[in-house]
Amino acid sequence: MEEGRFVSLVGPSGSGKSSLLRAVIGLQPPLSGTVETELARSQVGILFQDDALLPWKTARENVALGLMFNGMERRKALAEAEAWLERLDLAGFGDRFPRHLSGGQRKRVALAQVLVMKPRLILMDEPFASLDAIVRARVVKDVITLVERERIGVLLVTHDLEEAISLSDEVYLLSQGPRARITQHYPVPIPRPRDPVQSRTHPAFAPLYQALWADLSREVDLRAEAA
Amino acid sequence: MRLDPRHAWMRQLAALAVLLAVWEAAGRADLLNPLYVPSPSRIGAALVELFADGSIWPHLEATFTAALGGLALGIAVGVVLGVVAAQVRFVAELLEPVMTILNAIPRVILAPLFVIWLGIGLASKVALAFILVAVLIFFTVFTGIAQVDRRLVERVVTLGGDRWALVRHVYLPSVASWVLSNLKIAIGFAFTGACVGEFVAATHGLGYLLSFAQSTYNSALMFALILLILAVVLAIFAIAGRLEKRLLRWN
Repeated sequence: MEEGRFVSLVGPSGSGKSSLLRAVIGLQPPLSGTVETELARSQVGILFQDDALLPWKTARENVALGLMFNGMERRKALAEAEAWLERLDLAGFGDRFPRHLSGGQRKRVALAQVLVMKPRLILMDEPFASLDAIVRARVVKDVITLVERERIGVLLVTHDLEEAISLSDEVYLLSQGPRARITQHYPVPIPRPRDPVQSRTHPAFAPLYQALWADLSREVDLRAEAA
Repeated sequence: MRLDPRHAWMRQLAALAVLLAVWEAAGRADLLNPLYVPSPSRIGAALVELFADGSIWPHLEATFTAALGGLALGIAVGVVLGVVAAQVRFVAELLEPVMTILNAIPRVILAPLFVIWLGIGLASKVALAFILVAVLIFFTVFTGIAQVDRRLVERVVTLGGDRWALVRHVYLPSVASWVLSNLKIAIGFAFTGACVGEFVAATHGLGYLLSFAQSTYNSALMFALILLILAVVLAIFAIAGRLEKRLLRWN
């Protein structure tokens, strides 16, 4: 994967998309093969499906955690965290506990928690699935703006083909597991900077979507036949 | 008529006043045998008397010391054993059946044994309060650690947290919140242990006074003591409630 690229992985359930991300970040060892990266451990961030904020820490403390784990002094880390909260429209919410934030706000805190580390690559495991449509569109827009501006690479796992195409530079299709592998690669020729909603009306969008949909359906059907 | 729920306490208070008035009137009309049910005024007098001559203080002190000592020890040992058992499989294999048995039996049956082992002084009461609390806290912590949210662990690890960070930011707050949410039950257990211990054999304490009142058929004193124990435990509940609210304000 090239630096600063937005790459999506789509594939049927059980094709090991999440496991791949977990192997990249070191949460589980790969079954076979190795993960090669030029990035330091702290330069890779991960955004989970659940926001997984520590419930007993305020939004600001949650965002500051990673900095403090990497040796930054507490007060400095909290100031930096606050700056990121403000950048993500969360000024004034720093003292709230996660329970007292909405789903969209929690997602933004989780995003700040990752961005504050100045990552070069963010792994995303269906991070927007739990949000309702309007909140989702706004959070996704913020994410795309930030990663484009900071030139952060993204490896996104999703079930949502529209999301994959509208956000990515490249989409990879994984075959049905077990022993899933990459079966297709689709470059997405929509120019940047992108608006995730506008991208869907780009002439390249519809044909790509149809191709992806057809290939994905075939994977699922193959599996059904084998069974 | 619609009842305003905000005024429920007024109605409850009024009902209590009516009950006491009826009780008092029945007592004065000789409808109740004072040997079994003394009138409220006589219970009140007995209560005042306990404080007037100051004779209650050593007893209150004895029960408090036993209950709070047993509570503190029980929480400390319960937490340590629970944490160790959750981390070290061998310890869990040894401890779990013992704790399960201790949890299944009414632990107050150990009171006579503690008297033989530790004498009729404070130690046997502390021991009884301790064993009641420790088993409760052990299971709270042991099962709690097994259920720590894996996602929080993974979040801290992927942000670069080491083992110590996990203990400090995930395990300790989790354990603290479970212990706190069981604190009131533990306080109740601690006072049960102290009073039952004093009941069995003692020279001081509210439980000792209760058994004295029983052996002398002094029902006014008995009611007065029950009221006193109730007041003491409610006061401590209030403190525990505030502590819980403050420390679990994130919840």
